[in-house]
Amino acid sequence: MRIDYRIEHPVALHATFDVEGFTVLLGASGEGKSLLLRAIAGLTPAQGEPFGGMAPQHRAVGYLPQGYALFPHLNAWQNVAFALRGAQRRAQASQLLERVHMAAFAERYPGTLSGGQQQRVALARALARRPQLLLLDEPTSALDPVTRDDVIAELIGEVHEFGIPALAVSHDPHLAAVADRLVLMHGRHIIQIGSPGEVNANPIDGSAARLLGHRNVYRGRIDGARRLIWQDGAIAFPIDSDTFAGDVDWAIDPEAIRLVDAHDDLPDAVPVSVEVRHVMGRTVQLGVRCGQGRLWVSAAVDQAVPESVAVQLPVEAIHWWKRNS
Amino acid sequence: MVTARHVETACDSPLAAICALPTSPRKQGEGSHPANMTSAVPRSGLSALISALTLLLLAAPFIGLAFVTSWSHFGFADGDGSAIAVSLCYSVLALILIIALGTPLAWWLARHHMRGQWLIDALLLLALLTPPLALGLLLASMYGPYALAGSLLERAGLTLTNSGPAFVMAQFYSALPYYVIAARAAFEGVPRELEQIALTLGHSPWRSFVHVSLPLARLGLAAAIALAWVRALGEFGAVLIVAYYPQGIPVKLWVNLQNIGLNAVYPLLWVFFLVAMPLPLILGLAARRRRLI
Repeated sequence: MRIDYRIEHPVALHATFDVEGFTVLLGASGEGKSLLLRAIAGLTPAQGEPFGGMAPQHRAVGYLPQGYALFPHLNAWQNVAFALRGAQRRAQASQLLERVHMAAFAERYPGTLSGGQQQRVALARALARRPQLLLLDEPTSALDPVTRDDVIAELIGEVHEFGIPALAVSHDPHLAAVADRLVLMHGRHIIQIGSPGEVNANPIDGSAARLLGHRNVYRGRIDGARRLIWQDGAIAFPIDSDTFAGDVDWAIDPEAIRLVDAHDDLPDAVPVSVEVRHVMGRTVQLGVRCGQGRLWVSAAVDQAVPESVAVQLPVEAIHWWKRNS
Repeated sequence: MVTARHVETACDSPLAAICALPTSPRKQGEGSHPANMTSAVPRSGLSALISALTLLLLAAPFIGLAFVTSWSHFGFADGDGSAIAVSLCYSVLALILIIALGTPLAWWLARHHMRGQWLIDALLLLALLTPPLALGLLLASMYGPYALAGSLLERAGLTLTNSGPAFVMAQFYSALPYYVIAARAAFEGVPRELEQIALTLGHSPWRSFVHVSLPLARLGLAAAIALAWVRALGEFGAVLIVAYYPQGIPVKLWVNLQNIGLNAVYPLLWVFFLVAMPLPLILGLAARRRRLI
């Protein structure tokens, strides 16, 4: 489904993209992502398609705001039945609750449900309206970090099962990673669209890489001598830049950084100190202090780290993007 | 997360607190874990003592009433019965008018914020501040037989001096601002997001109001209705000026005192309590019967 919306107030915003399957619009806070969802739902003045000019009650959207906004005075099945009319509403609500695996909680009030359970009730309530488009505002923000991945998997499974295109706005790279389609927003503009695989492999610029949660994305400058100047000249690495010189964003994969012994006096080795060890299964992400900045270095959990450690950044592993001032 | 907590803040308004209703609802989880409240324990003895003292102060005049009433000669003066009927009937009418006109205004004030809002606030405050006797005089100078609006309305067949409509008008004016302010606070406590969600679920604004705003504001609205009822039924000053007749209970209490003496006041006062109390009491109980978690 093609989304084309233009908002003037309270911030000016124009967004055009396609929603296919589970689409995530990834952007930092304050980009107006929630506002865009509200505009599509008809809750804030805007021009655009689909549903342009219609009153909110006539738009076939299922809107799940942040925090889900279940009605506190109604129990789970009454919440789901809110959009339903007629004698069969209770039975229909029960069926919907069953489809989101919440049938056992039909009589419970929202205040007694966990974040993930509330989300599923809110999803069932939105689906009861027979929407053509689901709108999810920060669907992972109210979730318990321990169960979050399972809840997201459940949610995406359900969205696929119901076969309704869904647009989720989020700043959570984890959610972006599981999308069918990813739309990146920066500076109130769409900067990149693609599958999570494509976008993660080739972020269009430093902002995109930061949004995607890539580690080691920094500002710097390339000088005429093919050197990357970091931290205003405190640190410099050789870089493969043919002819360009100027301000850049640069990034390096934590796995590409080599840990070496500072005593070995290797060329272009920068001495660092280990600040934090972030153990992730069989690998460990070392946060190392490097001048005023921090680099993340990926290593095997059992890898010996020299007493006086230095890092080498292989020329071919450094990505860089021109930065418009 | 939107929970009952947001919804019931409406009852924290100072006006709702005036009302006899229990207006500070139990919040989710609170009170169910006495172990967490240990820090409050050392002070609870003192606050219980002060509470008991305050309640005693509050109760003193009524305890006194039980003693000064001459139970052996308990009887009613002429016209007491009709005063009760007048008070009840016209107060119900006034209350219906107040709810019908005050609710849309309260909702509108809760949901729209515009420039010059302070003027509306000042107007409501003005209506609250006016001493009842002065309010009666103002009403007479507007709706009296020789006054601007009064003479026009009288030509249309509506007499607003010493008549049933005048009685209702006086009650309406004195109780309306209390209702509007309390009801506005009740509606302000309803998260706007929930009303909007109701729209996205295909409900018209009216259905959203009936199925979401009203039920979520009901504790505060019940307090507002109870407050308006108490104000309307007990109104003396304004009613005295514009509707000495037909006599309701408050004016009749005054007449009995002047013509007969204290012994004619107390029996009617007992009846007043008896007829005035049930509505606010039942409203309070009914509003809290359905749980809100």
